[in-house]
Amino acid sequence: MKMLKIFLMLPLICLSGCWSSIELNDLAIVTALGIDKTEDGYLVTIQVLNSSELAGDARSGRTEVVTFTKKGETIYEAVRSLSTDIPKRIYVSHLREVIFGEEMARAGIGKTLDVLSRQKELRSDFYMTVAKGSTAYDTLNVQTALEKIPANKIFDALENSEKRWAATRTVTLDEFVNSIVSKGREPILTGIYVYGDIESGGEVLNAQNISPKSGLRLDYLGVFKKDKLVGWLNKNDSKGVSYITDHVKSTAVTIPCEGEKITINTVGTKTKIKGIMKKGEPKIKINVNSEGSIGEVECKFDLSKPENIEELNKRYAKDIKDKITGAVKKLQNEYQSDIFGFGEEIHRTDPKAWKRLEENWDQEFEDLEVDVTVDARIRNSGTMLESFQKEIEE
Amino acid sequence: MKSRVPIPLRKLIKDKQSIKAEKQRADLNQSGSPSSSETLTNDQSQNSSQSQKRHQASPNDRTKLIFSDLHLNIDHIKKTLGNSSDIVTRDFCAGKNGEIKMAIIYTEGLTDSASIQDFILDTLMVEMRNSAFDGKVLNSFEWFQLIKSRTLPVGAIMEITDFQKLFHHLLSGDTMLLMDGSPTAIALSSRDWADRGVQEPSSQTVVRGPKDGFTETLRTNTALIRRRIKNPNLWLETKQIGEKTQTDVAIMYLKGVANDKTITELQSRLNRINVDAILESGYIEEFIQDEVYTPFPTVYNTERPDAVAAAILEGRIAILVDGTPFILVVPALMVHFLQSSEDYYQRADIATLIRLLRYLSFFLALFTPSLYVAVSTFHQEMLPTPLLISLASQREGVPFPAFVEAVLMELVFEILREAGVRMPRAIGSSISIVGALVIGQAAVEAGFVSATMVIIVSLTAICSFVFPSNSMAIAFRMLRFLFMILAATFGLYGIILGLIVMVLHLNSLRSFGLPYLAPNAPFILQDQKDNIIRMPHWALLKRPRLINKKDTVRGDASSPKPPE
Repeated sequence: MKMLKIFLMLPLICLSGCWSSIELNDLAIVTALGIDKTEDGYLVTIQVLNSSELAGDARSGRTEVVTFTKKGETIYEAVRSLSTDIPKRIYVSHLREVIFGEEMARAGIGKTLDVLSRQKELRSDFYMTVAKGSTAYDTLNVQTALEKIPANKIFDALENSEKRWAATRTVTLDEFVNSIVSKGREPILTGIYVYGDIESGGEVLNAQNISPKSGLRLDYLGVFKKDKLVGWLNKNDSKGVSYITDHVKSTAVTIPCEGEKITINTVGTKTKIKGIMKKGEPKIKINVNSEGSIGEVECKFDLSKPENIEELNKRYAKDIKDKITGAVKKLQNEYQSDIFGFGEEIHRTDPKAWKRLEENWDQEFEDLEVDVTVDARIRNSGTMLESFQKEIEE
Repeated sequence: MKSRVPIPLRKLIKDKQSIKAEKQRADLNQSGSPSSSETLTNDQSQNSSQSQKRHQASPNDRTKLIFSDLHLNIDHIKKTLGNSSDIVTRDFCAGKNGEIKMAIIYTEGLTDSASIQDFILDTLMVEMRNSAFDGKVLNSFEWFQLIKSRTLPVGAIMEITDFQKLFHHLLSGDTMLLMDGSPTAIALSSRDWADRGVQEPSSQTVVRGPKDGFTETLRTNTALIRRRIKNPNLWLETKQIGEKTQTDVAIMYLKGVANDKTITELQSRLNRINVDAILESGYIEEFIQDEVYTPFPTVYNTERPDAVAAAILEGRIAILVDGTPFILVVPALMVHFLQSSEDYYQRADIATLIRLLRYLSFFLALFTPSLYVAVSTFHQEMLPTPLLISLASQREGVPFPAFVEAVLMELVFEILREAGVRMPRAIGSSISIVGALVIGQAAVEAGFVSATMVIIVSLTAICSFVFPSNSMAIAFRMLRFLFMILAATFGLYGIILGLIVMVLHLNSLRSFGLPYLAPNAPFILQDQKDNIIRMPHWALLKRPRLINKKDTVRGDASSPKPPE
């Protein structure tokens, strides 16, 4: 009898159906999502992997990724309507990159973020960028060399350049949304643009050239105010922003030397920001500790003398300080956007005062006194001490 | 399923049964069956089993005593054995003038003809003629005693008064000496038969450690264990099980270290076996195991004498069955199946690492296919993107769902494995060629299965060969398919559910009263020294706690130190 009961229960397990199961080959794996603005809605571009071209033996020479694009009143609707173009289920869990067109970004991207946060299928580990001076559609239509999947190229380039160059920034959805809703911080995103010939960028041949006719390149940081893009920073300002927000892991600092140049490879930087309330006035103290090694010497500078190194240390510190103050000035005067999170720092220092300052933080930020101290040191000179520049000239 | 009787009730039933058995024994003695022969046997358990068996046998055999008349005896023996041609009867006259009529009967092939020639026939026929005994003054009883005590240069002899024992000894290879006028026969030990000899065990091999393995002969096997434990407390109890086969079954344990209750329980379980044939220890295993409806073995078996010796020294009990090199050990816990005897011969550090590696392999052997099915059909978002891309490209063009693909490949592998075991040795190599080509290459090239699946099946297969004990590997092989079904229906959720059920089931298992998962559940801190890790021998000074309660200390060593 008991056996019979178990036997009758078996179909319950077997026939319950695998309602949420889906085979790997029925998935259209989306790696990049581009969002552009149209008059009455959005132009959504998705980049889908053509997985049989990416690994395994059965390659036929088609492109590794395919881009599909469609208009829709909302993003969700547009993506769903793409089912008419794609024979597989659109699967966005492995999204690596979300790109906003510049026009879209300037108009405000707040509304588009809801769908990205709401979908349970989406992991929040993708990075967001803005197509500088262009549309997301154009940006996603370029074949990239070395990395077959353009979205992966952007993803990896963002991580790599953040670590090695410090003038770009990886921003995830959570960080971005947090910055938007916080009153004491404004968001930033890295810009990306297509260099070279946009027309031929989408061809398979593009990636087969030894020197590709076009490609994707990261630009510097874009400044937002709330959810709207307000402008772009240059190289030095972007680095300055990274110094302030303690995002510099390693970068190259070029300092003058007898009319020529010395480049220092920063190997470690630590920034401490401290908010101070003095007589009801907020004040920010930035303290940067930086260490580096000499990467390139073009002048006849005697590096064996300690006083010379001391001199270099000063110039090194000055360079960092200039970048920081430059970035602060620019954002205070031009954009009035507190992308450094100074407001949050003041909030932490004096929550009561923050309540008063909160409402007018944009103005307060503009007049905020920022005090920068930099302690920079050169720790080693690479494999040589003195350069042979002297001998070359003699 | 099995009806569960609450323990007190069970005990009651058992008590009733034992009362019944005792009553029957009493009846037996009253009915006049000779108990004198029984006192000659040297151990108690044999006694009881013998009397029990006699009760089961037909009443004719039970009461049939040996006649005084020699020819009557020979006729009876010949008739009973159907004049089988391998039974050799040799009657002769002994004594100075040939006044005593005697006969020896033995089974050819089971006996050592040379020793029968040299020590029995030669003594009785030639040397007795020259001896100074005066046959005329002696009656047949005195002759019998004289021969028994003075003329037979044979090690083991036994007096036998009934035919049932006579046949047992005769067919076990002993030589029967019958004398006219005496109702008692003498069984002379002359057992010797063609034997495989002690060879390296084929099922459990080691790199470092003894290479001898058990054989099909019970006596060789007991000797292999005795050679390792030279202790008077190493006790051996033998009995015959199997109405027709009369198979010798011995239990061996270290008196004082083994738990007496376990011994009693084992004896009673062995006594309960009532079947006409025991051909391998597997028969016994199925009769004495605690739980029937489980894929997990609760009786350990091994071909290695060192493993048995180690188990006996831990306080466990070995069951040796004549005719098989596989010795059973009880109680058997889960950890015993996951440990190899080599763990104790290698140094502690590498032994520990290898154990960890082995546990990883157990996990992989059980879960790899199901995890693949679950992750690739339910939880694609769990995979790192590059891995997903490569998996997706492998799956491109495969006509089956991942589950069907997995079951198919696992089945093919199981078939290949079975074929590899069964097929004649001479054509054994062709199976690997066919297997490797068919599964490994052609199926992938034809696009029937993905290369990933082949990798997973191979990984599972290799991991399942890591099991030191085949019986546990079998359990995992069966469960693997169950987990695949669960994975295909519920994904990881199903696997976790299955795992929970499996652990619950394992927790419910007992081997001779011991919790199967000990020392993990219940958790015994002291025994962790020899569980997942193995501490050096000088740190393993206590025997496993649950197995025995009395003699728990192994020794009093301390960590080795350099000279001062």
